[in-house]
Amino acid sequence: MKSNFLKVPSRLGIGRPAVGFVILFLAAEALLAGLIAPEQTALSPAALLEKIDENAVPGNKIMVSSMTIHGRRGDRTVKSKSWIEGDDKAFTEYLEPPREKGIKMLKLGDQLWTYTPAADRVIGISGNMLRQSVMGSDLSYEDMMENRKWSTIYAAADDGTETVLDRPCRILKLTASVPDVAYEVRRIWVDESRFLVLKEERYGKSGRLLKTLEVGEVKQMEGRWVQTRALFRDVLKEGGGTEFIIESVDFEADIPEVLFSKASLRK
Amino acid sequence: MIIPKLALRNLIGNGAKTWLNALVLSFSFVAIIWGQSIFEGMDKEMSKVTIDQEAAGGQYWAGVYDPYDPTSFDEAPAAIPADLSAEAAEGRAVPILIVPGTIYPKGRMMSVLLKGVDPGQSVLKLPFGSLKGGSGNIPGLVGTRTAKSAGLSKGDTVTVRWRDAAGTFDAADIEIVDIFQTQVQTVDVGQVWMPIQTLQEITGRSGQATIVTVPEGAAPKTYAGWAFQDHDVLLKDIKSFIQAKAMGFSIFYVTLMAMALLAIFNTQILSIWHRRREIGTMIALGMPRGRVIGLFTLEGSLLSILAAAVGAVYGLPLLIYMAKHGWVLPAGQADSFGLALNKALYPAYSLGLVIMTILIVLAATTVVSFLPTRKIATLKPTDALKGKWS
Amino acid sequence: MIRFLFKGLIRDRSRVLLPFLTVAIGVFLTVFMFGYIKGAEYQIIEFNADLLTGHVKIMTRGYAAEPESLPNDLALDGTDKLVAELRSDDPGMTWAPRIRFGGLLDVPDEYGETKSQGTVLGTAADILAPGSPEIHRLGLENTVVKGRLPQKPGEILVGEILADRLELEPGGTATLIGSTMNGSMATANFTVSGVVRYGVRALDRTGLVMDIADARTLLDMEDAAGEILGWRTDGPYEREHIEGLAARFNARPGADGGGEFAPVMRTIRDQSDMAAMLDQFGAVQGAVLGIFILAMSLVLWNAGLIGSLRRYGEIGVRLALGEPKGGVYRSMLAEAVMVGVLGTIAGTVLGLALSYYLQAHGINISGLMKNAAVMLPSHMRSRVTAGSYFIGFIPGLLSTLIGTAIAGRGIYKRSTASLFKELET
Repeated sequence: MKSNFLKVPSRLGIGRPAVGFVILFLAAEALLAGLIAPEQTALSPAALLEKIDENAVPGNKIMVSSMTIHGRRGDRTVKSKSWIEGDDKAFTEYLEPPREKGIKMLKLGDQLWTYTPAADRVIGISGNMLRQSVMGSDLSYEDMMENRKWSTIYAAADDGTETVLDRPCRILKLTASVPDVAYEVRRIWVDESRFLVLKEERYGKSGRLLKTLEVGEVKQMEGRWVQTRALFRDVLKEGGGTEFIIESVDFEADIPEVLFSKASLRK
Repeated sequence: MIIPKLALRNLIGNGAKTWLNALVLSFSFVAIIWGQSIFEGMDKEMSKVTIDQEAAGGQYWAGVYDPYDPTSFDEAPAAIPADLSAEAAEGRAVPILIVPGTIYPKGRMMSVLLKGVDPGQSVLKLPFGSLKGGSGNIPGLVGTRTAKSAGLSKGDTVTVRWRDAAGTFDAADIEIVDIFQTQVQTVDVGQVWMPIQTLQEITGRSGQATIVTVPEGAAPKTYAGWAFQDHDVLLKDIKSFIQAKAMGFSIFYVTLMAMALLAIFNTQILSIWHRRREIGTMIALGMPRGRVIGLFTLEGSLLSILAAAVGAVYGLPLLIYMAKHGWVLPAGQADSFGLALNKALYPAYSLGLVIMTILIVLAATTVVSFLPTRKIATLKPTDALKGKWS
Repeated sequence: MIRFLFKGLIRDRSRVLLPFLTVAIGVFLTVFMFGYIKGAEYQIIEFNADLLTGHVKIMTRGYAAEPESLPNDLALDGTDKLVAELRSDDPGMTWAPRIRFGGLLDVPDEYGETKSQGTVLGTAADILAPGSPEIHRLGLENTVVKGRLPQKPGEILVGEILADRLELEPGGTATLIGSTMNGSMATANFTVSGVVRYGVRALDRTGLVMDIADARTLLDMEDAAGEILGWRTDGPYEREHIEGLAARFNARPGADGGGEFAPVMRTIRDQSDMAAMLDQFGAVQGAVLGIFILAMSLVLWNAGLIGSLRRYGEIGVRLALGEPKGGVYRSMLAEAVMVGVLGTIAGTVLGLALSYYLQAHGINISGLMKNAAVMLPSHMRSRVTAGSYFIGFIPGLLSTLIGTAIAGRGIYKRSTASLFKELET
């Protein structure tokens, strides 16, 4: 007789909490990397990287964005509004679809809380939970939670030039200079005159290409260049990828400090 | 002493009939022992394969490790205590590193546990040896269940992605060097085995493990940050299952016994009836009835011993053969995609089982042999001598 | 002639009673054993079928390819219509949708903030409808060790170890966080109505049971389910019947289309290791029964021999009176048939009676086990099958007859001289 008279489901079936929702919240932030772009002359790779960082962390902003996940059951679009201050405070409220409307997220540094109207609860999200698999999307928490400046964790080197979206781009190869990064190597295609990243490839330590980000559209908003559409793909997997669209950004917005508190999640 | 001698002489002197009875009875013996041993074998097998392939003599679990809590896997791995490391170097412990990962068979995405183990280990009886050598790709080993759900065959290459201790992603191709069959789902479902050194290197967890399995007989020690789990924990589910099953099978045992006793009872009744003249003669010659009853009861008991001996003649080779080669189950499991359990079932004979069986049969035989002899107490020797059975 | 022999049997009790009783007891044991082993097999099948696999299970093709990962994004849609169709197609089956899902259970402290969290494996079934068979199928009556079964929406049962770890007591509330069928975050608060002990670590550590309506609301699975389990109601599980059912379903018009969302039917044998397990049990069962019947045949054969030997004197008289040897032999065989038939019938009736009793009531073994609520059948039951009615004839009739036939050959060997000698005594 075999060892399981009773069929116990495999351990792996257990515990796949939904963390896909975190992505939208964080992805929007990452997309904004390299937002502001006054025209400049040629820089060293390191200087260029610093410029990208400088532009990525502007003051306050309020942003409406959407994410479309191409899942097995069809496409799903989630729309949200985010209030962001610097690189470590963010508050997001979901607007669509109806099921997710009213869900709020608060990120303070490395900590994350979520509020759901359905349960009327503030729930702390532990790092362990966020490391679980991500439902259907091409992203993981690590893809988006990174909020350190690239110039502090990567060493940049020139890796050629290429035209992307009809813009001449410099390719930088970023190699991690600290151990705790999600991707050991990134190649970024930078529109040098606007300091905008138009394409990115993320590699593992072994040099294996893992994920790609392709910007599909760049628009000027309030006088700044913004990547408004991007496609994110897990290249190891078949599928349509995950699409981001930034619908509007309000730069230099006035955000009351009280918003970045757990109490505001319930309001 | 005269009674036992007489009983034995009567028994042997009865010739073919005795041997026939002994043969029938011996058949019950062998059937009881074999049937019981098959069930015990099945039970033992359940524990044995789990011990052989997973639990061994117990496991040390690192830190927060909980096999039922996937969120504990990232945090759990810890440096192997020096003692255990030394034991492992000498083949007396097997560190296993467990890292959550994702495999991408044919573009699909599947969560798995990457399990690193020393291919040269000898504590666990799984074909980890096949992870030795190989060039280029990382060698990987999966069970039939994982192979089926991921659609993997021997020689296939599959991309696997993981995060190292610092959280950095990486991916590589794993070559499935072998696929193993096991009854123990928990070393198969959703798992990919690879050399522990490779897994430690690619995850930056040099010298770390999640569990350390020690062979049977190893005395549990205390290591800070590691908790020893013995068989009470690792085999708990199996034990309570076996306990429940043993209950059910005791009825089988009782029924087989009843069958053997029926045979003896029958034989005894005939024997007494058939030898009524002899009984009459003995009583007429002055033998106390008690001794006559004793004689016949003893004859019945001796028959069971004789039966045990006869059973041993043909039963032992059979049982030994079974123990050695197992009882090969008929085919017909092809439809389960090689998920067949052990193809042969090995009966388990404990000395206790055999002795218990013999003792119980002997005791029961004696009682059953005695019952028909009570008639002797009321027998009129004169009638008996005439062949009448009043 | 038969009437004559029969009268003889009736009138001469001593001549008949012992062989009759022997046959009856032997047959009784055989029939009982047969029913008992069949009962064990039946229980293994029903237990797994009730709890996890059904006699058949319908899933989408994609779900069926990786059932261990509980991919509810590949759940079945339109389950009401599907179940209605299944019901009308085969009235001899009953169907029940189930949802199994992974999630996170979050217990709040007094301020409503996270106090403890644990991963859970949820099982959702129709457990609120009055008299729902699902309560019994999931073994819930026997496993609730604290509190009670859910009685209204919003109530859940949690495993004992999980409850301990999260410090949850009946009456406490917890937030369940899961993922909807479409991948959205799903959260809802539930009240723990009871704590269950399955005796299986995986389930006690992560198990959560809730009503399927609650799960559908939570997981956005209105009219959807991961699995639809089916059980046969017009008879017991029969491999051919069930496999035929699945084959017809999987070959229905248009079954090939629909991609990974097309419903497919899997039998209990198709699921995890059940086929290998049942095959092994079948082989063991066959061997044990074979040996038992063989051994019992030998015993009754021996009894047939003995019965004939006992009538040595009578036969001697009959031969001395001039009855032809063949006639005596045939009459003995006829008697053996009668005793065999009567004994077998009596034994079978007794065996069936006990088997039926044990089929209905079982032997309660739960009290004999340390962990009373172990998720195993609490009763050992027999099972009467068609074979139960016939199995007894092999040892009862055949062996008795063969035994008599062999013993009776002695008739032909007897010489007239020794006959007279025998008559002298």
